[in-house]
Parts: sequence; C-alpha cells; structure tokens
Amino acid sequence: MNLEQLLPTVVFALMAGLLIALALVVVTSRSVFRSAIALTGALGVVAGLFALMGADFVAAGQLLIYVGGIMIIMLFVIMLSQRPMAKADRQTNDQWLWGALFALAVTCGLIVQFRAVYRGIFSTTVSMPTTVSIGRLLLGDMVVPFEAVSLVLLAALVGAVYFGLDYEKPQ
Amino acid sequence: MTLSLHHFLMLSAILFGIGIYGVLSRRNILGILMSIELMFNAANINLIAFNHFLYPNQVWGQGFAIFVMTLAAAEAVVGLSLVLAIYRNIKSVYTEKLNILHG
Repeated sequence: MNLEQLLPTVVFALMAGLLIALALVVVTSRSVFRSAIALTGALGVVAGLFALMGADFVAAGQLLIYVGGIMIIMLFVIMLSQRPMAKADRQTNDQWLWGALFALAVTCGLIVQFRAVYRGIFSTTVSMPTTVSIGRLLLGDMVVPFEAVSLVLLAALVGAVYFGLDYEKPQ
Repeated sequence: MTLSLHHFLMLSAILFGIGIYGVLSRRNILGILMSIELMFNAANINLIAFNHFLYPNQVWGQGFAIFVMTLAAAEAVVGLSLVLAIYRNIKSVYTEKLNILHG
C-alpha cells in the first residue's frame, strides 16, 4: 500500500466523519441558527467530496451557489423570522421516534443494496479538468433542459418577489 | 483499502437518512427546508460518484448535478419567501400552527 492509494482513503474517511457529524447537528440542534451554520459546513464538505471525485466545476459551483448563495438567504430568513427566546422551544414533533425508525430503515436498506451491488468498482482514470466538456454538454446535448431551467429560475424570481410583497403597508 | 464506488454511495445513503429524519421530526419550517437541502446533496453525491466511477470519460452526471443545484436554489428562494409570508401572517414558523384550513 503506497501513499498515493492511501491518501484519498484517509481524506475520504475524514470528510465522511465530518459530514455525518455536521448533518446530525443540522437535524438535532435546538437552535435553528446553529443548524444553519452546521449546514454551511456540511455543504462545504460535500464540495470537498466533489473535488475528491474529480468534479472540479461542480465543486466550485457548490461553494458559490450553496455556501455563498442559499445559506446567506437562509441565515437572513432565520434572523428575520425568529422570536427572541425561541431557543427554549422544543424543536421536534410528536412523531420523531417513528421518523427516526423510518429513516433508519431506509438507510439500512440502501446501504445493504449498495454494498451488494456496487462493491469493488474502482476508479481507473486520472481526473482531468471538466469545465470545457461541461460547457459543451450544457450547450449541446442538454440545451433543452438548460433553457427550461432558465424559465424555472425566472418563475422562481417572480414568485419570490410576489410572496415577499407586504400588502399591509399603505402604498 | 482503495476507495470504491460503494463507499461514496453508503455515505450518501447515510446523509439521505439523516435528511429524512430531519424532514419527519422537525417542527420548524426552516429546519425542514435545511433537511431537504441535505437530501439534495445526498442525491448529488450519488450522481457525481456514478459519473466518476462508471463513466469517467463523460460528464452527464455532473451536468445533472448542476441542474439539481439550480433547482435547489429556486426551491430555496421560493420556499424562504413563503416562510417569510407565513411568518408575517401568523407570527410563527412551526408547522402545527399552520392549521387554519382545519375549520
């Protein structure tokens, strides 16, 4: 076992542990603000996993869109919509135990299936920069969903402005 | 031990399960939205992993991951503005307070 084979495994193990710990903080923390901070870290670790799998463009996009965009909006909304002293509130509903059992069942089923089907498939090629080929794909074979998603983004923009309007204030 | 495809898939399955637990157990709408983001990311890890290990000379999985991220951004923006509208109306972000259709 040489260092070149060992290093990705060690990096993956570290990132996997960190990701699971941060995700558990996201779903169990009492403070929503702390959840959002942990989610920011988890999304950053996912970007690291993308980079580990040679997806450099998607890793950069993950950092820009998720960590830089979505999480900032989410932190703004949390600060706009939380009452003071909301930390004392209980954050789980009455069905949390059944939810935990269901999630555990789904996770175990998926893990058993993945272990049975996809064991021993290793990466053989050296990762290359992917930006050029992603650009050719998006404006070539994927051009119809690319244009459709621009319409979806326009609709989301109009919808966000519409729902964000405050009707109570006099014009 | 060399990294294989099923390591990444098992990690994403665990992440997906944590997200399911968050969606089912949170009272707070913002907590539910954050758990949904976790599940989106589990799906993205799967897409990139299949792309990397099974079809290393193509980038279709990465293209789909970009679309998933775009739609997650659209969903988050509309969802968060809905949360703000709900908070303005009923002064709460807890799901059990959203029962005005209950009669």
